Amino acid sequence: MDLLYSEAHKAFRQEVRDFIDANLPDDMRQRLRAGGFASKADTELWQRALNKRGWGAPAWPKAFGGAGWNAAEQQIFADECAAAPAPPPHIFNITMLGPVIIHFGSDAQRDYFLPKLLNADIQVCQGFSEPGSGSDLASLKTAAVREGDEYVVNGQKIWTSQAHYSDWVFCLVRTDPNAVKKQAGISFLLIDLKTPGVTVRPIISIDGRHSLNEVFFDNVRVPVTNLVGEENKGWDYAKFLLGHERAYIAGIGRSKERVACARALLAKLEADGHPASTLAAYRGQIAMIEADLHALEVTQFRMHGGHADMKLSPMLKARGSEIFQAITDVICRMTAPASLRADTGSLTKSYLYSRAVSIFGGSTEVQKNILSATMLDLS
Amino acid sequence: MNLQLNDVQQQLQDSLARLLAREYDFGHRQQYVAAETGRSPEAWAQLAELGVTAAAIPEAHGGFGGDAVDHMVISEALGKCLSLEPYHGTVVMAATAIGLVGSEAQQARLLPRIGQGELQVAWAHGEAVAGRVTVCGGHGVDGWRLYGAKPCVLHGAGADYLLVTAQVADEGVQCFLVDARAQGVEFEGYRLIDGTPAADVKLDGAPAERLGTLTPALLLRVLDTGISAACAEMVGAMDAAYTLTVDYLKTRKQFGRLIGSNQALQHRAVDMLVALEQGRSMSVSLALALAGRNDLTGAGVPSHAAKVLVTRNARQVCQEAIQMHGGIGMTEEYAVGHYLRRVLVLDQLHGDMQYHMGCLEGRDSD
Repeated sequence: MDLLYSEAHKAFRQEVRDFIDANLPDDMRQRLRAGGFASKADTELWQRALNKRGWGAPAWPKAFGGAGWNAAEQQIFADECAAAPAPPPHIFNITMLGPVIIHFGSDAQRDYFLPKLLNADIQVCQGFSEPGSGSDLASLKTAAVREGDEYVVNGQKIWTSQAHYSDWVFCLVRTDPNAVKKQAGISFLLIDLKTPGVTVRPIISIDGRHSLNEVFFDNVRVPVTNLVGEENKGWDYAKFLLGHERAYIAGIGRSKERVACARALLAKLEADGHPASTLAAYRGQIAMIEADLHALEVTQFRMHGGHADMKLSPMLKARGSEIFQAITDVICRMTAPASLRADTGSLTKSYLYSRAVSIFGGSTEVQKNILSATMLDLS
Repeated sequence: MNLQLNDVQQQLQDSLARLLAREYDFGHRQQYVAAETGRSPEAWAQLAELGVTAAAIPEAHGGFGGDAVDHMVISEALGKCLSLEPYHGTVVMAATAIGLVGSEAQQARLLPRIGQGELQVAWAHGEAVAGRVTVCGGHGVDGWRLYGAKPCVLHGAGADYLLVTAQVADEGVQCFLVDARAQGVEFEGYRLIDGTPAADVKLDGAPAERLGTLTPALLLRVLDTGISAACAEMVGAMDAAYTLTVDYLKTRKQFGRLIGSNQALQHRAVDMLVALEQGRSMSVSLALALAGRNDLTGAGVPSHAAKVLVTRNARQVCQEAIQMHGGIGMTEEYAVGHYLRRVLVLDQLHGDMQYHMGCLEGRDSD
């Protein structure tokens, strides 16, 4: 038993680190470190830099322009990007939509979309949640009714991150309202956001920032060639897509970077002469968050190494969220009151935003429902 | 990264689980508690026969040459069955200390007998104030003698020898072997809350044999080995308490349905599972760090963090286990509450949670 990286993996990590150092613009790094979001331009620039190196899509097969890395290499790459911090490869383009098109898309869809997704020539967003369908996603109502060579789409999506600057949205839509199982009547549809009848409205979140949107569809006509895979099989593709977040689900690298940030802030507080008792309390809190994070990372290795059940993966999401929230909370308190300024206080905004990570992508409560059913056989 | 036990360890884990299920189920265990010795010499002999006591003894001294990972595997199994046997003191602490500090002759004399389960050596280091040793040793015409007291030495009264730490002029804390039957050694034996036999030891000019030179780094190494094994034992205790609880959720009915059908209890049971698996990961990481096979911790040994995290989680799991059992969990005759008792004792070994939290906070220079 060991937790040792092979020489090849060590060399690979160094190669990734060197690439990031040589290519990540310093101002982007600083903005991300200060708790800011990557902008559309940031994402475009970084995705293109990665793509140029052949690293635009860590998990895609080489035949489709991906890096073709195995799970361990993907994890190292994700961790190094987070540590920099650099943006990860475009989450919706690369981690989510790409693999679905590779596995279930038509040749025409592959030819049209994959190169553009890789190079961020188009950016896509995810249209899953609806006002009445959050955790109970399969109850979604946005309807796509076939008329000749088109679907006519009516309905509303919500919490659509980045829709305000994206080019396309991949949607789950209801194509068979009479299906016995609600999961069975859902299809996976690509919709150009410039199509007439699409309206995007901003939602300002509690951090005062704009990343979320509502997207309305009013008789939007979508060519049937934009259907991915088979009609009414969309739920299967969505499940497949969510399985591809593996390298990111626990957010280990993201939280490690925040722990490093907290330690740097602690050193500054110490230099500023804050009371020893305050410093000790922070030091202890940071150390325990780091311990929890370390245990989670080892849990992840144990799962991938056959020492723990893969069915534990909802735990990675749930615990990873709590740990990220804990460290952003400590950072927020360490930097208050300066970070409470609404104009410049990005670390308080970052803390407020962190409250979302236990809600999106399957809330902590949903993760616990899954664990209860699969690990405990209780339901 | 290889997270699998090797074949020898896997075999040991399997056969140990079988042996303990047969000889150390809760019913048997409570009989051992009631016995005068407070343990089972027969079960101890069978453990020795299985190779448990020799697993981490160097091959040169008749053992199997294992390391902290072997201690982890064994301690976890012993934690699951609330073992009353002197594995921790004799094999984890004393054998490790003798292996690190003892002379070649001392190792050759003591380690093979420990490995065969013939010799019990109690670890007598901790005192009233964590990290402070007040027992002192002086060298006279007839050799070393020790003066002072060691409280709460696990399995102290039943041991053949004590391994005692004492202050020596100009040399700091040193390690001594004391014959438990020698003059000047007095025991006040008692049971701890979990049934473990323990004793307060008074040393009044007790004759002692000094091991080699103990350095602060070596002492830390011995203690870290102990922390690792104690953490693994807590993981075993957590695992058993968790398993009992999930079983109970599937059998106990109230309001006409299984209590496990309530989401409130399901989610709390999931929290127990998460605490257990996080604790197990920390235990694995610490053992691998001690074994020198952990790139995630680098050169560091995360013993403070492990002790705090695992103790915190073990308390959570065992307390929740009792709560979710309701009244039956509060009874002496049912197993689940005994795991909390055991965790209370393990928390105290080699610095309690508060002590290690202080170290993490930088309040202690350890």
